[in-house]
Amino acid sequence: MFHRKKIVWLLMLPGMLGILVFYVVPFFGGVYYSVTDGSFANNYVGFSNYLRVWQNPMFQMGLRNTLELSVLCAPTIWFLSFLMAAMLKSLKERSTGFRNILLMPYLMPSSALLLIWLTMFDYGGVVNRLVVGMGLERVLWLEGNALRAPVVLLYIWKNLGFSVVLFSAALATVHPSLYEYASLEGAGGLTQAFRITLPQIWPTAFLVFVLAWVNAFKIFKEVYFIGGSYPDDAVYTLQHFMNNKFAKLDYQDVTTAAYSFAVLVIVMFILMYRVKAVRGEETA
Amino acid sequence: MTQRTVRRVRHRRRHGLGYYISVLVLTALCALILLPIVFTFLYSFFPKGEITSFLNQRGNYDVSVWMDVPLSPAVFSLRQYYKILIEEPSYLQLFCNSVTYTAAILAGQGLVIPLTAYALSRFEFRGKNMLMVLIMMLMVLPFQVTMAPSVITLRTLGLMDTPWAVILPMIFSPFYIFLLRQFMVGLPSGLLEAGMIDGAGPVRGFVHVILPVCKPILGAAAALSFADCWNMVEQPLVYLANNSSAQPLSVMFNQISTEGADVAFAGSALYILPTMLIYLYFQEDILQGVQLSELK
Repeated sequence: MFHRKKIVWLLMLPGMLGILVFYVVPFFGGVYYSVTDGSFANNYVGFSNYLRVWQNPMFQMGLRNTLELSVLCAPTIWFLSFLMAAMLKSLKERSTGFRNILLMPYLMPSSALLLIWLTMFDYGGVVNRLVVGMGLERVLWLEGNALRAPVVLLYIWKNLGFSVVLFSAALATVHPSLYEYASLEGAGGLTQAFRITLPQIWPTAFLVFVLAWVNAFKIFKEVYFIGGSYPDDAVYTLQHFMNNKFAKLDYQDVTTAAYSFAVLVIVMFILMYRVKAVRGEETA
Repeated sequence: MTQRTVRRVRHRRRHGLGYYISVLVLTALCALILLPIVFTFLYSFFPKGEITSFLNQRGNYDVSVWMDVPLSPAVFSLRQYYKILIEEPSYLQLFCNSVTYTAAILAGQGLVIPLTAYALSRFEFRGKNMLMVLIMMLMVLPFQVTMAPSVITLRTLGLMDTPWAVILPMIFSPFYIFLLRQFMVGLPSGLLEAGMIDGAGPVRGFVHVILPVCKPILGAAAALSFADCWNMVEQPLVYLANNSSAQPLSVMFNQISTEGADVAFAGSALYILPTMLIYLYFQEDILQGVQLSELK
């Protein structure tokens, strides 16, 4: 660790300059738009932009969908990746191949998989063949509420592997003697997973959850690929609202929606860390 | 004798029912995961007629009609690859845009991000914690939050609708600063001290001590960032809105698949291929980088 070295400022200069110009200035500069009326005189209007945007039904719909999609994605990814990591661990050295395949989609461009995805979820496609094979009715996957299925599945397909890798890294640190003792006491695999493993890796489990949630909040690409700029109401996200308002050069609405969104994300982020701090004290 | 029995018992225990269930579930899941990729490559070798008639079966609402699931082409064709690579340069143009952006962003990140992460991990200075909080905050925000003001900033700088509008902001991506910093924080402090005793200052310490041990995380960050840039959609959609010839291919797949069905799969397969190679090359780095950094 270096103390009081002036050179640190020189080292950081390029990075900080870039962050300042391309992230910080836009972030705070946007406040100006969200409290002015966008006319030639650019009058100060206080919170009236916020009140107007919050009452906009499209904004409400976008917010609801973004929340609901993240509720569908994040816990699924969290639970599945924990399960998969636990299974990988039980395979020991034979797990490498499986783990590598699980991570692969994380680097694949989902844009290039759009076409095969749409084909699979077509009314006459393989997914519906499977559905009928299970004795159910065919589903119109590409319309209405059902549209969420291909979107969420594409998202999970792509993002599951990274969480599995994070979990696997943490699982490797759990001391094997704990399991041996538990086996002697007669605890089965599932009991061990949830009573020993999960408490032992709680910090990682928490991090994976936060990352999964925050990233699921950013879900837009998948929806845009499948539904375009104006997708079905069931998958119209807050990002669509902002993008479309932006296309209409309505900067006031964009920035106002953006800050409402940002505050929500940051509050959630802080809340989760508070919860973690409290839980951490309890276990310590 | 008893030892051997014990070992045999433990060996058998290791391959209990749970083991086989794990193998079964993981095999099924991996097959599911690979399926879309495998089929994209498979269909990319279908000749024009076959693939067009296959894709034309889509959008049918008759309950008695199924799409075929063709597993092999009647004629194995490379014609569509020839078409997109040589005959019609528009695809190649978009592909080259993607390459340019990705290369430029990675080069820029390589210059900026390790230095910043180094400063944020191995130095004590005032405001450091606040900086980290700021970086984490920026990391969790969706792109759209700073979109509109960013456009104003870029327009002021005269960069809107030029490739720089896509490249420059991505170079300073907070996530990769965070990723590298977490790795560097976890390095043993004795490492730099040993270098200091040998007379290395902060700069030489960085080049000769820190960078070499950061190889896995640098590889991991490069691969992840590559994937990010390659699949970039939001930024070019907005920053290059009036410059469609400068768009990367990732944005244009929507249009390609409707216009030229025969080359759509070949185009997708070609776009997947580089990430596949990158992944195979950096696989171990990604796993090591994640395992060794303080993400847990």
